[in-house]
Amino acid sequence: MELLKLEIVTPDGVIFDNEVKQVTLPGSEGEFGVLPKHATLVSLLNAGVVEIETQESKKIAIAINSGYVKVDETKTTCIVDGAVAISGEGNELANALEEAKKLLKSTESSNIAIANAVAKVEQMAKML
Amino acid sequence: MASLKDIQRKIKSVKNTQKTTRAMKLVSSAKLKRTEELAKKSKVYAHKLTELLNEIAQKMVSTNIEGLDMPYFKDIANPKVVDLIFITADKGLCGGFNAQTIKRVNALRKEYQANGVELRLRAIGRKGVDYFKFNRVDMIDQVAGLSSAPDFEKSSALIGQVVEDYLNGKTDKIVLVHNGYVNMITQEIRQAQVLPVDHTSLTLNNASTSELEVEPDNDNTLLEALVKKYIEYTIYYSLIDSLAAEHSARMQAMDSATNNAKDMVKSLSIKYNKARQEAITTELIEIISGMESMK
Repeated sequence: MELLKLEIVTPDGVIFDNEVKQVTLPGSEGEFGVLPKHATLVSLLNAGVVEIETQESKKIAIAINSGYVKVDETKTTCIVDGAVAISGEGNELANALEEAKKLLKSTESSNIAIANAVAKVEQMAKML
Repeated sequence: MASLKDIQRKIKSVKNTQKTTRAMKLVSSAKLKRTEELAKKSKVYAHKLTELLNEIAQKMVSTNIEGLDMPYFKDIANPKVVDLIFITADKGLCGGFNAQTIKRVNALRKEYQANGVELRLRAIGRKGVDYFKFNRVDMIDQVAGLSSAPDFEKSSALIGQVVEDYLNGKTDKIVLVHNGYVNMITQEIRQAQVLPVDHTSLTLNNASTSELEVEPDNDNTLLEALVKKYIEYTIYYSLIDSLAAEHSARMQAMDSATNNAKDMVKSLSIKYNKARQEAITTELIEIISGMESMK
């Protein structure tokens, strides 16, 4: 299986830098998935959830507020203002969830988009 | 000749000063480490952002999309009004750190004045504000408390106003001056043009020829958002850079102050010992001559 390199950069540093199978991004024109060898693309990102499928076919969810993404054949780079990884167990997960919701609500995008994203965060959390 | 007691008092006071300067040095070096860390982290982001902007700008140049007519990129040959943003520290005791920035600002003022350009000062940092207030130079912005604790939101709000002025045609050019961090012992004055974004310097080497798809399709939306973010981040990064430089400058200043105090204690101790020896000799002579006269 081919892999693509995914990088997520925030003002606080690089929070994700690894090879992944697939990534789904909340573009401003709609959600889109990226597989290896995707055509070069630049897009604005809305507040939402980045879903990542890792090499081990595990799912990772990262909540982001607005940002940009640059996709080319081998590499995907997300430049976002803020990001919270939704992971861990029990209390940790609950904390991460809270923080992710706070992050999403702090953005200026429309309420519907935020509500959508929050719903998604919760759904993702259940799946984990 | 100062009395023994006077010298002793002086030694004590110098030693106390030394303690203070040493403590300040330690504090600065701890703070520097933290700020350095922060700078390192945000550097990645700044780098990526510039890269992305480069690439898009490059594409626009090569495909001649009208996006470069955007006010953000419009180069004005003879600016009439120039905004000068400069960053100084909120506190002193850091050697020539603030003075260097102020010197550069003054030099720029003279230069622009000679060319008949109206220069508007926007000061960040209490020291710069104080200096120009004292010299009765008008500033249109006076921000204190931001340079000792850089905050992305606050700096964005600040630059937001500046950008608005620029878009409304109130100013033609925005220049940023700050004292930047090079390494532990060196700082250098950095001067950058914030607006209009100099796209000639943006165009870099790695021109990938593959077609670039842009979403949203309306090119300007993305570019505008990107340019805004780029400017906001430039200011924020400069603030962090300036803070790191401030701490390193203070560390250095305090280090030399501690050394100077040490030297002073040394020379004072020698003086004290000499004076003491002298006093003993005098006393001895008195005793001996007293005994002689008793004979």
